[in-house]
Amino acid sequence: MQILKIVITGPYAAGKSQFIRTISDIEPVSTDYAVTLDEERALKRETTVALDFGTIAINDRLSLYLFGTPGQERFSFMWEHLAIGAIGYVVMVDSCRPAHFPETQRLIARFAEITDAPFVVAANKQDDQAALPPSYIRRRLGVPAETPVLPCVATDRASVKQVLLTLLQLIATQVQD
Amino acid sequence: MALEGTLRDMSLSDLFQVFRMGPKTGTLCLACADLRAIVYVAAGELIDAAVVRFPDRTVIAAHDEAVIQMLLWDDATFVFRHDPSVLHRPVRIRHNAEHLVLESIKRRDDLRSMLPYHHVTLDTHLQLSPLASGRESSVSLSMQQWRILSQVPHHSSVRAISKATRMPSDQVIRLVLELMAIGLIEIAPALQLAKQPLHHYEMAVTETEDRAPHLAWAASIHANGQAGVHERRLPVKRSLIDAVMRRVRGL
Repeated sequence: MQILKIVITGPYAAGKSQFIRTISDIEPVSTDYAVTLDEERALKRETTVALDFGTIAINDRLSLYLFGTPGQERFSFMWEHLAIGAIGYVVMVDSCRPAHFPETQRLIARFAEITDAPFVVAANKQDDQAALPPSYIRRRLGVPAETPVLPCVATDRASVKQVLLTLLQLIATQVQD
Repeated sequence: MALEGTLRDMSLSDLFQVFRMGPKTGTLCLACADLRAIVYVAAGELIDAAVVRFPDRTVIAAHDEAVIQMLLWDDATFVFRHDPSVLHRPVRIRHNAEHLVLESIKRRDDLRSMLPYHHVTLDTHLQLSPLASGRESSVSLSMQQWRILSQVPHHSSVRAISKATRMPSDQVIRLVLELMAIGLIEIAPALQLAKQPLHHYEMAVTETEDRAPHLAWAASIHANGQAGVHERRLPVKRSLIDAVMRRVRGL
């Protein structure tokens, strides 16, 4: 059995669990618990404190594993373990919550310290007509031009596929046969 | 669903730029202490606005002046909601958003609080904003603002611009913030990361003897990142990535 691993990361309530749920072959393995902090409870009732795990079976011998990281910075010690061996990662950000941008910037910087694997930024919740456009999110996060910042709707399979395909194309440019 | 935050998360001038980029249509509501404000946005343009004091609901500013008043607020909460019915409202604001931003800047002493998440120093590198298509023609810049703007393509750092224009650095920083507030220039992303990553990226596929997914899963998050007893790391071939892409396309 061969396994390739992609990590789905991002700040709290960015849509990482939903992203995996939308594309995974299996019912994702999640470890959600009731939210304890008041400010976090305002966004959602349950949160991923360990990780989400989903798979896409490529063929009999190969599987793509998707790991979602816990969003809160207090669980950042887990990011390194999850990032090791990943062929790439997706940074998810809520396009309707500019308050989350500083945390996303810190997360991108931390992952860059952990690994130099290629990554894309997925600007989630683009189905809301009030959402910030990916071009503005790129500017606020200070993402270089060579890193894709993609519109994303984590509940929409076609959108999630497009994010994964863009990341895979980026990875493919760095692989030789 | 709505775009929500505080002006410390996102300034009003940035919101106006985003409305233009969309272009967006809807209502922007703000709350600052006992003041409430509303801006109507139709196809990216500001068309009407008012500032009201609560609880007596006294209108303290309307139209262009209301927007300028809001632009002087540093700390307020905002909610922007898409609302197509705004397109049918009468236009009561005479000037465009950039003009109103520049007017509000004239009334401010400290511009840093206007863009609290942008830290401009002498070492900050700048670039012309790709968001500014056609907007420059509708903005009346001062001679000093033009001097700075004209230097950005040639001298990207604030220090270099200060040297090239022979203008004091604090004056250059203020002018840079003014040009950023109307969306003509922006901070250039860092080209290189300051620190080397802990792990050099090595394309690897984990091969395990275990066929049961849960065992393979456990193997793949092996704490120290090394291959386990029943697994080994192999180089990733392009054909493997191509196979994954074909599968994802077919989902």
